[in-house]
Amino acid sequence: MPFDNLRETLLKGGIAPRHVRRYIAELCEHQEDLAAQQREAGHDEEDALIRARARLGSDEELAVAMLEQKQLRSWTARAPWAVFLLLPPFAAIAIGMVFVGTLVLIGKYYDFLEKDAPPPQWFQILAIDVVAAANLVIMPLAAALFVAMAARQRLKLVWPLVATLLLLTLFIHSDVNFLPRKTGQLTIGAAPIFMASAWKMMAEHWPTVSAQYLLTFTPLFWLAHRRRARS
Amino acid sequence: MTEDNSFMSGLPELAILRLLTNQEMYGYEIVQAIAARTGAALSPGEGVIYPLLHGLEKSGALKSRRKSVSGRSRVYYTLTTKGARRLTTLTTRWSELHGAVLALMGGSLAVR
Repeated sequence: MPFDNLRETLLKGGIAPRHVRRYIAELCEHQEDLAAQQREAGHDEEDALIRARARLGSDEELAVAMLEQKQLRSWTARAPWAVFLLLPPFAAIAIGMVFVGTLVLIGKYYDFLEKDAPPPQWFQILAIDVVAAANLVIMPLAAALFVAMAARQRLKLVWPLVATLLLLTLFIHSDVNFLPRKTGQLTIGAAPIFMASAWKMMAEHWPTVSAQYLLTFTPLFWLAHRRRARS
Repeated sequence: MTEDNSFMSGLPELAILRLLTNQEMYGYEIVQAIAARTGAALSPGEGVIYPLLHGLEKSGALKSRRKSVSGRSRVYYTLTTKGARRLTTLTTRWSELHGAVLALMGGSLAVR
């Protein structure tokens, strides 16, 4: 890939990935124009490329010029503490709301939730399946999101680790119950791990919780492995 | 946009804003135009024009769009209203500076 070193320097320097991507694309296009100009001037292909690259500027000059533009830095680079400490709970809740919200909307659409009777069998099965899937998706997906942000910005591994641990500490586990001859009751547990209710829930659902924890750590393991392989 | 009072500050920015007043241009065109109009006296490192363009766009002075011309896709830049105001400010500042230097040199900038 052209300008690989420059790309890495800029991402590590905190420049937002979208600006880095566009900068590299524009440099490639500019280099092509310069090379064409050199070929027209009578230089052979190899010479034209060398001259074009030289006129563009050294990697260091190109990096310094971009790093001086402080306003092009990403939020993950400017305030990683805000992104990786404050956002994880909101991200997990937002992803969870997609699952729960879908069930509630379906329930409301068919008017199951307001009636003084349990919802039909198909809705109960759907709800149980959706909630079970949510348990295996919410935290791993939220963790993957923060790992991806850290990977894109070449941040230290400690930041996605903090986000992952925070998610696991918050322990978001969903359960659904339908009481006979009563309205359907959907309960969502989001108790911090240090609370007794969380431990009780973990003991009751330990196979799911184990899978949940393993899947949540998977993106982080992947990133650590990838970095070790590259170094 | 931050104010920078170093001696040469704002000059490449002034050149870019001026060139984009009446037309949209892409990076390579801008560099060539600056070199041509200033007799290469003001020719920024060719690649370093892009961070300036990105910075100006981020501050709202320019806007960009990707456009395909003759089979090549390029990012074209145009001046915004905010950019036009910035150009007026920079032009005034450089006119004052030019006047001050002229006065200092006794009315002539000719090299003896």
